[in-house]
Amino acid sequence: MLTRSLRHIIKSRCFHTTPVNTTFWVKSKKQGYEGPRKLLTTKMILDGLKDLKEEIKIWKEEMQEKLESDPILVYRPNEIDVYCRFTSPEVIDNWIVTSDSDHNEGHSKCTFKTSAAGYGLWSGVVTSLLPQDGRIKKAGYCSIRSQRHTKSFRRNTYFDWSAYNTLVLRVRGDGRPYMINIGSEGTFDITWNDIYHFVLYTRGGPHWQITKIPFSKFMLASNGVVQDKQYPIPLNKITSFGLSVSGRGGFDGPFSLEIDYIGLEFDPSNSEEFAYEMYKQEKYIVAT
Amino acid sequence: MIRGRSCLVSLIKNRCKTQVFNHARVFCTKEEKKEETNFDEEKVKREKQHEFFTKRALILRGSFETIEDKNKGSYLEMIDIFINKDVHRRNHVEFIYAALKNMKDFGVIRDLEVYKKLIDVMPKGKFIPTNLFQVEFQHYPKQQQCIIDLLDQMEDNGVIPDYEMEDQLINIFGRRGHPVRKFWRMMYWMPKFKNLSPWIVPNPPPNDEYELAKLAVERMCSVDLQSKISTFYTSDVESSIDDTWIVSGQSPIQQELLAKHNREKGLYIQGPFKIWLRYKCINYYLLRSDSPENFVEFNDQIEIDDVSDIDVPIFSLGQVKPKSNKLAIMRSVHEQKDGTVYAICCIGQHTKDTLLSWLRLLEKNGNPCLENLIVLFKLATPDNTTEIVVQSKDPVKT
Repeated sequence: MLTRSLRHIIKSRCFHTTPVNTTFWVKSKKQGYEGPRKLLTTKMILDGLKDLKEEIKIWKEEMQEKLESDPILVYRPNEIDVYCRFTSPEVIDNWIVTSDSDHNEGHSKCTFKTSAAGYGLWSGVVTSLLPQDGRIKKAGYCSIRSQRHTKSFRRNTYFDWSAYNTLVLRVRGDGRPYMINIGSEGTFDITWNDIYHFVLYTRGGPHWQITKIPFSKFMLASNGVVQDKQYPIPLNKITSFGLSVSGRGGFDGPFSLEIDYIGLEFDPSNSEEFAYEMYKQEKYIVAT
Repeated sequence: MIRGRSCLVSLIKNRCKTQVFNHARVFCTKEEKKEETNFDEEKVKREKQHEFFTKRALILRGSFETIEDKNKGSYLEMIDIFINKDVHRRNHVEFIYAALKNMKDFGVIRDLEVYKKLIDVMPKGKFIPTNLFQVEFQHYPKQQQCIIDLLDQMEDNGVIPDYEMEDQLINIFGRRGHPVRKFWRMMYWMPKFKNLSPWIVPNPPPNDEYELAKLAVERMCSVDLQSKISTFYTSDVESSIDDTWIVSGQSPIQQELLAKHNREKGLYIQGPFKIWLRYKCINYYLLRSDSPENFVEFNDQIEIDDVSDIDVPIFSLGQVKPKSNKLAIMRSVHEQKDGTVYAICCIGQHTKDTLLSWLRLLEKNGNPCLENLIVLFKLATPDNTTEIVVQSKDPVKT
């Protein structure tokens, strides 16, 4: 119970530099946060059959695209391709909104909805107040995340962003730093929680800002713990995208971040492969 | 638990002694006659306090809570008392945890010196592993975890350690100790992000609200390099009731836009909105209007992938007219889809009167057109939903 909650907290917060030494087999991806199973098996089968029609339609489109279109070989430089635009409520509803109060592990609350100006507004209150039962050591986060990328018949697949090298965000923040989390989930349990992080600094004020971050700057963390052995982000194996905010270190209070779009760009002037040192480190110290 | 209690009891005793000593010293200089009676009274009082503490629940709260004037001096004094208490320094782990918990109240949570002093409580040399197995199985786990938690707290509060701390940690846990490894990781990652923000705020941010307001307005106005940040005083306006400052930011472009503003359309003073400068938060107000009705979002990128309709100039000579939405005056950053921003301000007193004074002062300083414009106040009361109310439904289990 304790390790579970601790792990979750570490995972959700800013990167930590304490390594996690859990080399044991992990049963579920949710790691204890599954919740009770609500639906009956028969109902699930029936629901699945209902979805079949839609899924076949998607599969048909996929196959058509595969046969008809030529692959894009050249991506025009400095052109922003939008991955997600938050001007329609359907897109916003598809995102997962979480905060530490969801599992009774804190008091932070947040919502993600359409703003008055018609963009996605993620706002709420983060607080590092702890629940009084003494289970939790540290609290205070809110986060939004896109769902795992899937293709027809709910099969897992990846985004292939290897043609790009820069992440572009058009946001209107409140001066807080936010964290960008790009998920790159692997097959085995030790890579389930591989997330690449970087900071999104916001100016604050009424004006929009466009932030461009090279993918080379993203650093690997697993369960929210920054890793000693770093690797550049595998851009052909992206599973999800998310943002989070922390209330620790005196940052308790309301926050709001308005997002127009998340885009991708190929910037030929940026030739950096990886921003962090890759030299060989001392034995038995690294990753222990 | 009992060990923890004895530690705290002795701590309290020591604390009493020093306080009594201090009091005595103060009184010695003032009046020597009253000294004895006061001394006795103090003693009785402290003994009662002591009793009160020992009689309370099994888990005693540390003596940090009982100190009245909570500052860095008294905090360091507490650590000194513990260090000089005896040679064994029993229960130093419990002491460090108690000290870490109370850092915020003493206002030392971002103070590197204090953290170093706390690490200094640990004995040097005793916890250094001497063989492979000790290294692998976390020699003295409680002590190591305690210092890891201390470093964690530093990390949470953005305190970057220095190399003196490395020496301290190596002297305590050896080069293979987990706290030392954590220190190395911190020293690798933390300086990378220390000055990464493109909008620099001094560390620590100023406590004075006026200084903070200046920084905030400067930061928000950095979107337009021509912006001018000026400080107004409401005392310059004749009809003003309040006497306070206004930090206002406006660029020449915004002045031009305001001069061109359609007189039939209203302007708003809207706010308060929040901006964060590190861990400090300040409210600001805007002078803005809705975007004009003919606001078209034009796309300056021509869709060159679209080959369905290509204009061939030779066949349509003299007939091709530029498309209306392809030709437009370049909009400034202040004209956004949801409205135009004309000025930003932070004020010393959050009243309507001050905002009215701001309007008058803007009128005097380069915006004469404001005289003829209708301005509406769209002020939100502090939002109650942003406050977290902790419901103590389930009492603390003891």
